[in-house]
Amino acid sequence: MSEDLGKNNDMNLAAQPQEVRPGTASPNASISRKLREFYDAVQEEGIPDRFLDLLERLDQAEKNAKSVDMK
Amino acid sequence: MSNEADTDDRIFKRDLLSSLPNLRAFAVSLTGRHDKADDLVQDTIMKAWANQKSFTAGTNMRAWLFTILRNEFYSQMRKRGREVQDTDGLFSERFSVHPEQYGRLDLQDFRKALDKLPDDQREAIVLVGAAGFAYEEAAEICGCAVGTIKSRVSRARTRLQELLGVSGESDYGPDAGDAAITARAFGS
Repeated sequence: MSEDLGKNNDMNLAAQPQEVRPGTASPNASISRKLREFYDAVQEEGIPDRFLDLLERLDQAEKNAKSVDMK
Repeated sequence: MSNEADTDDRIFKRDLLSSLPNLRAFAVSLTGRHDKADDLVQDTIMKAWANQKSFTAGTNMRAWLFTILRNEFYSQMRKRGREVQDTDGLFSERFSVHPEQYGRLDLQDFRKALDKLPDDQREAIVLVGAAGFAYEEAAEICGCAVGTIKSRVSRARTRLQELLGVSGESDYGPDAGDAAITARAFGS
């Protein structure tokens, strides 16, 4: 599942036709790189504790509900 | 509960967890602020959890989560009304909050430029260019045609080039909003 999500990751922007004028760096490449740098910087912050706590609480609530069901 | 359902359950939780950093980065891209983004992610987790039965195991969990988050974002925005109509004012206020979070100066500039894009263009370029979705998946998440996504991405790219290529007001940091207003007042 997650394997095919990344399939176009490197190609999406790069595959677009780019106008590269002589003597200039490709502006699209620079935009794509900065976009990814920005995005990756947020991703690398990891998962804040509040979400791990929340998931744990949800999980616990679900288990409690199930054990009540079984009785 | 059958073993199969139990396994699906575990997979659901595992995939939800592993999608969170990406989902959160998308939320930051949409809202422009970490605190609002985290509230949005929290609401998304609750919704996803409550609707886990409606998720078909084996299908694209990440696209499903992104769709929930995006719907939640727009529905909250509609409820509140646009908090600030004046986008220049919104922009300078948003970025005075956590400028240090974007670290390097050129990334701050990029973030500011990204925030100046119309919502539909911003989400399109972020989904396709950073979050790792194919055009088709992005179209599904946004509920529009693939061609629409392509043209939004293309317009977003052009606009970002204009905003970043001309080494403009964003180089002047906190006064960027003022500089934009000044530029407009004295510009054509």
